[in-house]
Amino acid sequence: MRLWVRRAIPIPLLLLAGCSSNEISRQFVLFRPAGPLSGADLHFTVLDVGVMLGIIIPTAIVTAFFLLRYRKTNAKAVYDPKWSHSNRIELVVWAIPLLTVGMLGYYSYKGTFEVNPYNPRMIKTVSTGADAVSHTLNVDVITTDWQWLFIYPKQHIATANELVIPAGTVVDFRLTSATVVNDFFIPNLAGMIDVMPGMRTKQILIADKLGQYRGYSANFSGGGFSWMGFNTKVVTESQFHQWVQKVGQSPHHMNYAKFNVFAKPTKNMDGKTDHFSGVSAGLFDRVIKAVMMGKVYPTPLPAYGKM
Amino acid sequence: MITSLQGPWSPSLGRLSLSAIPHNPIITGAFFFAAIFAVLVVGYVTYSGKWGYLWREWLTTVDHKKIGVMYILVGLIMLFRGFVDALMMRTQQMLADGPHSSGFLGAAHGYLVPYHFDQVYSAHGTIMILFAATPILVGIMNVVVPLQIGARDMAFPYLNALGLWLTSVGAGLIMFSLFLGDFSHAGWVGLTPLTELAYSPGVGTDYWMWAIQIASVGTTLGAANLIATIVKMRAPGMTWGRVPIFTWTALSTNIIALTSFPVLGVSLGLLGLDRYFGTHFFTAGMGGNLMLYANLFWIWGHPEVYFVILPAFGMMSEIIPTFSEKALFGYITMVAASFAIAGLSWSVWLHHFFTMGAGPDVNTFFSIATMVVGIPTGVKVFNWAFTVYRGRSRFETPMMWAVGALFMLLLGGLTGMMLAMPPVNYSVHNSVFVVAHFHTMLMVVVYGILGGISYWFPKVFGFKLNEALGKRFFWYFTAGTIMVFIPMYTSGFMGMTRRLDYIANPHLLPFEVAEELGILLYSVSIYYFVRQLYVSLRDRNESRVGADAWGTARTLEWLTPSPVPFYNFAVTPHVNARDELVWRRERGLDESVPVRYEDIPMPKNTSVPLVIGALAFALGFGLVWRIWWLTDMSFLGIIVVVIARSFVRNTDYVVKASEVERIERSGGGAISLEPSPSRP
Repeated sequence: MRLWVRRAIPIPLLLLAGCSSNEISRQFVLFRPAGPLSGADLHFTVLDVGVMLGIIIPTAIVTAFFLLRYRKTNAKAVYDPKWSHSNRIELVVWAIPLLTVGMLGYYSYKGTFEVNPYNPRMIKTVSTGADAVSHTLNVDVITTDWQWLFIYPKQHIATANELVIPAGTVVDFRLTSATVVNDFFIPNLAGMIDVMPGMRTKQILIADKLGQYRGYSANFSGGGFSWMGFNTKVVTESQFHQWVQKVGQSPHHMNYAKFNVFAKPTKNMDGKTDHFSGVSAGLFDRVIKAVMMGKVYPTPLPAYGKM
Repeated sequence: MITSLQGPWSPSLGRLSLSAIPHNPIITGAFFFAAIFAVLVVGYVTYSGKWGYLWREWLTTVDHKKIGVMYILVGLIMLFRGFVDALMMRTQQMLADGPHSSGFLGAAHGYLVPYHFDQVYSAHGTIMILFAATPILVGIMNVVVPLQIGARDMAFPYLNALGLWLTSVGAGLIMFSLFLGDFSHAGWVGLTPLTELAYSPGVGTDYWMWAIQIASVGTTLGAANLIATIVKMRAPGMTWGRVPIFTWTALSTNIIALTSFPVLGVSLGLLGLDRYFGTHFFTAGMGGNLMLYANLFWIWGHPEVYFVILPAFGMMSEIIPTFSEKALFGYITMVAASFAIAGLSWSVWLHHFFTMGAGPDVNTFFSIATMVVGIPTGVKVFNWAFTVYRGRSRFETPMMWAVGALFMLLLGGLTGMMLAMPPVNYSVHNSVFVVAHFHTMLMVVVYGILGGISYWFPKVFGFKLNEALGKRFFWYFTAGTIMVFIPMYTSGFMGMTRRLDYIANPHLLPFEVAEELGILLYSVSIYYFVRQLYVSLRDRNESRVGADAWGTARTLEWLTPSPVPFYNFAVTPHVNARDELVWRRERGLDESVPVRYEDIPMPKNTSVPLVIGALAFALGFGLVWRIWWLTDMSFLGIIVVVIARSFVRNTDYVVKASEVERIERSGGGAISLEPSPSRP
C-alpha cells in the first residue's frame, strides 16, 4: 500500500516536468491575450481578484485568529458569553461589503461596455487611434451538429472548422446555429458569446498578435460537442489575401442544398477542415430564416443497447 | 400520436420493448449491485420479521421526525449515487485526454461513449441538487423546526408524508432510468432546444422531466407546510424576536421554495407540451423561443440555489454559538441578511447566461444585482467571526464542519464575485472554473448538512456519532475537496470548458490526474462516514446522551429528552427568551419535571400518502414510456384517493395524560431502533 502510494504520487509531477515552463504558461490561455478584448477580460479579472483578496485574506486571517485565540483550552482569553451586539461593529461589517460592491459594481459597468460583443468600446478606442483601422472583415459563423462553418460573404468563400483572420483588422462576426445552442469562444482573442438557432448574435474583435489560437464551442450541444474545435490563424494582411485567393480556387462549393448535407449530424473526431469557393450570397440569412420556419436536423434515436 | 416519434410504439406497452434494457457492462454491474443490495435489505426485514414494524412505524407514519429521517435517508442514498456518477466522470476525463488516449468498451477515448457520459453528468447534477441536497435539507428542517418552536408536529402531518413520498417517487424514477431506457443527456438544466424531441428523441429527457416535476410537487407542499408550521404553531411566548435562527432561515428558504417551484413546474410543463403535443414554446422555429426556457428555468434555478444555501447558513448559525459557548452575534442582522438574500435571489437569474448576447445595460444590471448578494453574505461571515470572538471554541465534529463551511464560503465568494462581473464571466462562463465555483458553494451546503447531521443526530437517536471517525471523515473529505477543485479552477484558466467527454488539450492531463486522486480521497472519506455510522450504532449504549447532548446548546429542541418522544414535548413549554435553554439553565430550570401532565391530541398514521406515491410512480412511468392506459388509470386513481381521503374525519387520536406520564418516567423515545410500544 505504502509503496503504491509512493509510486503514484510523482506521476502528475513527472507529467508537469515533461513540459517546459514556457509551454505550461502558454497553456494558461486566459492569461495570454492576443487582442484588446481578451486583454480587457484579463485586466478586469486581475482587478476583481485584487479587490476581493483585499477583503477575503484579512477576513480569513481574523476568523482563524479568533478561532485559535478563543479556543476553550486557552484559559488566558477573555470569555464574555453575553456579548452579542455592537452598533459600531455592525456598521463596519455592513460598510465593508457595501463599499466593495460599490467599487466592483462600477468596474463591472465599465468593463461590460468595454467588451460588449456587439459594440466594444475597446475597439472604438483602437480605431480612432493613430493607426486607425480602415476596413472591417465580415465573417458569418454557422454551427451545425457538430461543426463550424465560417463564411466570408464579401470574398464568397467559406471554411469548415478553420478560421483565418488578418491581424489588426476589425473582424465583425455574425453568428447563428442550424440546430442547438453553441458558444463561440477563442480564449486568446475574445470571451464567449452564445450561438443560437433562429437568432443572430455578434462578436466584434481584433487580433493583435500573429499566431495560431484554439477556438471551440463552450456550450454543450450533444454527442459531438467535445470535438467541436477549430484552429484560428491570425496572419498578416498580405498572407490573408493570398489565402483568400487560394480558397477561391477550391473545387468545393457551398449553397443551401449543400449546406443541408453538411449540417447532418457529424462528429468531427479527426479535426477535418474544408474550403469552399463560390459560396451563394445570403446563405447565413437563409439558414436563420429556415430554422425560424421550423427546419430541424434531427438526431437519430440512439440504440439503448449501444450506450 | 400527436408528435411523430422515432422508434416503435404500441398501445399496450407504449415505447417500451425488450430493447429498452441497456447492454452495457457498467450498467449491468450497477444493476447487480442494486439487486444484491435490495435482496439483502428485503431478506433482512423478512428474516427479522420487521415488515409490520416497518409499515406501522415508518411507511405509514406522519411523525415529522421519522419523515425527516426518511427524507435524509433518501437524500444520502442519492448522494451516494451522485458521487458514483462523479467518480465515473472524473475517471473518464482522466482517461480521455489528448488525441493519443486509448479507448475501451467501444469508446474512442476513455471508457464512456459521449452519449453515455452526457447522461452521467446530467444525472449527477439533477441528483445532487434536487434529490440529494434538497431532500436532506427538507429532512433536517422537518426534524428540527417543530422541535425548535415547541410544536408537536407539522401543521399538516398528512401533507408532510405526501411530500416525502412524491420526492421519493422522483428519486425512484431516476434510479429506474438507469436500468430501463436512458436518462437525459442535456444537463441538469435541460438545455433547450437540445431537450426538444428533434435533438433528444429517446425517453431520457422524459425521465428527467417527470422525475423533477413529481418531486417538485412534493417540495412545494413541504414548503407550504413548513411556513404554516412556523407562522402558526410556535409555543406560547415565542415571539418573532425569539425564533431560533435556523427556524428563521427555514422560513426564508421555504418562502423561496413556495414561490419559485411553481415556475419550474410551468417551464417543465411547457417543455412537456412541446415534447408530447408538438407545440413550439421552446423550439428554435415556429415562433418558439429557447431563451424563454433559460429565463424561466433560472427564475426558479437561482432561488433554488439560495433555497439550499440558506438552511446551511442557519445550521452554521446554530452550531457556531453552541460550540463557542456564546450567543450568536448580531441576531437581528442575521435574520435581515437571510431575508435580504431570499429577496435578492429573485433578481439575479440572468447571470446564468450573461453570454446570451443581451445588451450591456441588461448585463450590468444583473451583474450589480448579483454582487449585492455579497453584502448580506459578507455580513454573515463577519457575524460568525464575532460570535467566536470572546467565546470558548470547542472543535467537536459539528464545529469542524461549520468552520469548514465558513472557509469554503470565503473561496466561493471570491470566485463568485469574479463570475458576477461580465468581462470576467465572458472568459470563464462555460468553463470548469464555473463548475469549481458552484461546487465550492455547494460544499458550503454539504459541510453545513454534515455538520447539521452530526449536531442533531443525538437529538433524534439518543446517542452521539463517533468523534474520532467523524474527524477522520472531515479531514479526508476536505482533502478531497481541495484536490478536486483547486486543479479544476486552474484548468478553467487554461480554457477548459464544461461537459467534455473528450479533452483535446493533453496539457490538462496532470490536473485531471490530481482531480482523480481527489475523488479517491472522497471515496476514503465515504468509507469513514459509513464506518462512523456503523461504530456509533454498535457502541450506542456507551454514547447515550441526555436532553442537551452537547452541554452548551441554546435552543428549545434540546429541552426535551433524546431521543425525542413521538409527541415532542410532554407539556408545551412557555418560551421566555431567544436562547431559551440558556435562560432556563441559568435559572436551574432546564431539567425540571412538569407538575401535571395533560392529554395530547396526535395525528393518526395513514397509508394514503404511500398509495398516492405509488400511483404517482405509475403515472410518471406511463408518461415516460407513453403508455396512455397506465397514465389515465393512475391519474384517475390519484384523484379518487385524494377525494376519498377528504371524507375521512377521524384522523386524530388522544394520548392520555397517564400514558404520557408513564412514557416520560420510563424515558422512552420515538426513534429508538427497537419497535416502540404499540399505539392506537
